[in-house]
Amino acid sequence: MRTFLTLFVLLAAIVVGHLAVLYGAPGIIMHSAMTAMEQRGLPQHGFKLAPRMTPQTQRVVRASPDIAYSICLFDFSDGVDAVEIEMAAWPDYSSLSLYDARTNNFLTFRGEGERFAMRLLPPLSEPEGFSIPAPTKRGIVLIRRLAPDEADYRAVEKIAVKDSCRAIRGGNAR
Amino acid sequence: MRFALGLLAAVLVGLSIGGASALVLSGIWPRSTLPAGIAGTSIDGWRTDFAIGSDAADPYTRARVARHGLLALERREAIYFTRSRDERGRPLRQDCRYRLSGMGQAARWWSITLYDADSRLPMNTDQALSIDASEIGEGAWQAIIAPKRPEGAGHWLSSRNADNFDLTLRLYVPSAEVLETPKLALNPPRISRLGCTMAQGS
Repeated sequence: MRTFLTLFVLLAAIVVGHLAVLYGAPGIIMHSAMTAMEQRGLPQHGFKLAPRMTPQTQRVVRASPDIAYSICLFDFSDGVDAVEIEMAAWPDYSSLSLYDARTNNFLTFRGEGERFAMRLLPPLSEPEGFSIPAPTKRGIVLIRRLAPDEADYRAVEKIAVKDSCRAIRGGNAR
Repeated sequence: MRFALGLLAAVLVGLSIGGASALVLSGIWPRSTLPAGIAGTSIDGWRTDFAIGSDAADPYTRARVARHGLLALERREAIYFTRSRDERGRPLRQDCRYRLSGMGQAARWWSITLYDADSRLPMNTDQALSIDASEIGEGAWQAIIAPKRPEGAGHWLSSRNADNFDLTLRLYVPSAEVLETPKLALNPPRISRLGCTMAQGS
């Protein structure tokens, strides 16, 4: 009986350990990536254009050297009512992608040469038009712009300053 | 007391086995040159999983992509194919030279980028880590993969400091045909080994 019970506990622990690691890993990896970004000075609720992607500047795995990335971290855990997001127009390929704390790409909008604006709401909010709830309190907004060479990247630098990612508290932008 | 210790040991051993098996089966550990240990779709050696980036991905794919392709896009926006072996099934290695050849792709834009075994751009200053549609243009193309720029080569992907490496083919805004019938619509680039500088496998 004791042997049977020990074997049962062993098997149960294997299953629990397997599922815990499997389902927990994306969140842990995303949390680590966001923490590392914050430690490198990436502000919450504000876009920052990453340096042109090279072996020396890469910060995440499988970054593309042909894409200019602008990143904004959002966090609804501190009384933020909404985050207003705006992607400035770029004549070539561009996209605005939102990722939740479990690494899911829950929304993507393509630029198509036009400015794009939306409002991100706290989890469980009612969606309305371009106001969309985030699945989790924390996450990442990422703008990609096609910029295969140095001249393209310099052009992105001039455009990316017009991107915005602002926290709204009590109806006021911050 | 002894029985309780036995149960505690069973719990610890079980959790360790379970956790380690999840890491291995999802491709998180040990490090691998095949990030896309991807079971989804393989087209002439190029592998992808169309569930990447979506919450529909199975937990193994999500864990693997979190480790090797964090912040990937969902498939309507971009699809990613990865290949870590040449046409004869041999791992891609820094000490060998390869010819990469292909045609244009049914997508708004495409690129091929070389990554090392840690899924990072290899640490060199060659500025030759990817080729893309804007550089290649229309029609048939060829590129050389080698640790040094070959004389006379038009397009070059540098494998310097990459050790064992893989290639990622990105298709941004792929056509409906690529999404629906990828095996028919994709033009999978070919990778043939030209030679190696070391005796091993050359």
